[in-house]
Amino acid sequence: MSVITYGEAIRQAYREEMLRDKNVCLMGEDVGRWGSLYRSSKGLLEEFGPEQVKDTPISEAAIAGCAVGCAALGMRPIAEIMYIDFITIAMDVMVNHAAKWPQLSNGKLKLPIVFKTQGGAGRRNSSQHSQSLENWFVNVPGLIVVMPATPYDVKGLLKSAIRDDNPVVFIEHKALYFEKGEVPDEEYLIPLGKAEVKRAGTDVTIIATSWMVLFALKAAAQLQQEGISCEVVDPRTLWPLDKQTLVQSVKKTGLCLVVTEAPEEGGWSGEASSVIHEHCFSTLKKPVKRHCSIRTGIPYGPVLERQIVPGDESIMKAVRELVKGV
Amino acid sequence: MNTESLQKLYTEMLLVRRFDELCLSLKTRDQIYSGYHPYEGQEAVAVGFCGLLNKQDILLSTHRPHGHAVAKGVPVESVLTEMMGRQTGCSGGLGGGMQYLDIEHNFYCGSIVGSNLPIATGFGMAIKQQKLDRVCMCMFGDGASNTGAFHEALNLAAIWKLPILFVCENNQYAEAMPAREFVSCERISMRARGYGLEEITVDGNDVEATRRVATDLLARIRKGEGPFLVEALTYRLRGHYVGDPEATYRTREEVDAWRAKDPLLRTRTTLLNDGVDASGLEALDQNIKAKLTALEAWALEQPFPTLEQSIDHVTIPLTQQGGCACL
Repeated sequence: MSVITYGEAIRQAYREEMLRDKNVCLMGEDVGRWGSLYRSSKGLLEEFGPEQVKDTPISEAAIAGCAVGCAALGMRPIAEIMYIDFITIAMDVMVNHAAKWPQLSNGKLKLPIVFKTQGGAGRRNSSQHSQSLENWFVNVPGLIVVMPATPYDVKGLLKSAIRDDNPVVFIEHKALYFEKGEVPDEEYLIPLGKAEVKRAGTDVTIIATSWMVLFALKAAAQLQQEGISCEVVDPRTLWPLDKQTLVQSVKKTGLCLVVTEAPEEGGWSGEASSVIHEHCFSTLKKPVKRHCSIRTGIPYGPVLERQIVPGDESIMKAVRELVKGV
Repeated sequence: MNTESLQKLYTEMLLVRRFDELCLSLKTRDQIYSGYHPYEGQEAVAVGFCGLLNKQDILLSTHRPHGHAVAKGVPVESVLTEMMGRQTGCSGGLGGGMQYLDIEHNFYCGSIVGSNLPIATGFGMAIKQQKLDRVCMCMFGDGASNTGAFHEALNLAAIWKLPILFVCENNQYAEAMPAREFVSCERISMRARGYGLEEITVDGNDVEATRRVATDLLARIRKGEGPFLVEALTYRLRGHYVGDPEATYRTREEVDAWRAKDPLLRTRTTLLNDGVDASGLEALDQNIKAKLTALEAWALEQPFPTLEQSIDHVTIPLTQQGGCACL
């Protein structure tokens, strides 16, 4: 085991996969010279050259389109959209083509693309650089949606995403790149579509995604001292959803809080909540509760940003309300 | 061009024309379900450009794709039955008349205007990087030249020097919007200058001209001189779709003036002047019509796709075992 950052874990995943398969290539804005915004591809242009590491113009439609075309001819592109907020420009290619062509080919065409981006608040970037837009992609048949929270998960899931034959929307979080965690020195993969219990508990299940997993774990540690035992479950892949792991946990605890950074209206948090209600109705002591960002554009200043997005304090409050009814 | 070669192009254009007429007829009988985008009048573009491609070359087409598909050599059986929503269609009847793929024949089309240009850059990049003996041709219309995707793709293709021929099939109207009002410059080909590319315009109703330009540009692309953008000036003789309110955007006189420049009429006149026998051309036509009549009868017997087929290939089973523990 080594302790490395989330960003370094991404870099290692790229490197291992590029060494393994020369068809794997990374393309996007500043992925080469800069080594990406958070340096997660630092040094790869020098090591692998411009055929595998391609700086592109600021042209998100062309980046995504290029990925579809070269994937159709056997390459395995990772198309980086620097901020998920910019993905609006690439949506046509992703939704109307990447997600549709395999079906229209009757399974003859595989599009092994990773549309890799990063979202969320936490770096005071205001409303056009801080959004959580994962819900859009969960809603599109033909796309896989992954949101890793830890260095261990991001490395194992990214390697699986690169090897998978489906288009995968891989959403990192900008507040996580410098978070550290243990990662095995030997090679490993984490299957897509597999949730993980990040902390075992007995009184209440907290289902949290991406950055919210860290806050949920902090909250769980604090609540333990208050005598509330929380089980924290991270789906890691939003679709396909590992319903079994989520349901097993809630059947055990009988209470469930879903925490996402995306606002709750029309989102994945509602999907998760509905799955729990459908499969755990008889064991639920209370309806599932959701704790999500307030439905607004993320404001600029650090004080307001913290008030809009869930954190450990607000999660603790939500859990107490659920458990004790106060 | 010698008479024999021209007659071959004429025959190919006749096939595209009669195929389009068959589709129109099927549309009026509700055997084609979605809006149908007729191709009449533009055959010299499809045959001149798309007809020159080899099977392994990539062709990206539009929401008006059947002329391009037939000219490239995608089997007419699979194009027709796709439009009719039958299992034997190249997308299994799931795509319909404006979005289908034929992987074996390297044909792709879609109904989002301008969307194929960015995708062409990926085919071009892979061809160049893997040193494949292939080219990519990307068809689009005057309307697509006003999208942001057009700009992103042309710039990327130009800076990476990709083996792509972008063919702007200017049929003068983006739905009801005339290019003369909705395109900011006199010629769409002028936009090529902005990407450091040559400005190339061709009479899209003259199949000898389109074939000559296509031959020249594809040869240059195969030598590594790509990409190129060419504008082919043509005219959509029918509505954007069958039954569109044509009187709202153009006059009968304008259509009639272009009908006089019908590419099939022009080529036929040349062939007759070259001494080709009119009865021979008539026999060719009858032969095509007979084949299409037989094709229609066969197509009407083909089964429709099942519910299973429509959901089978949306997501490929995940590569890594253990995932997707769905209840």
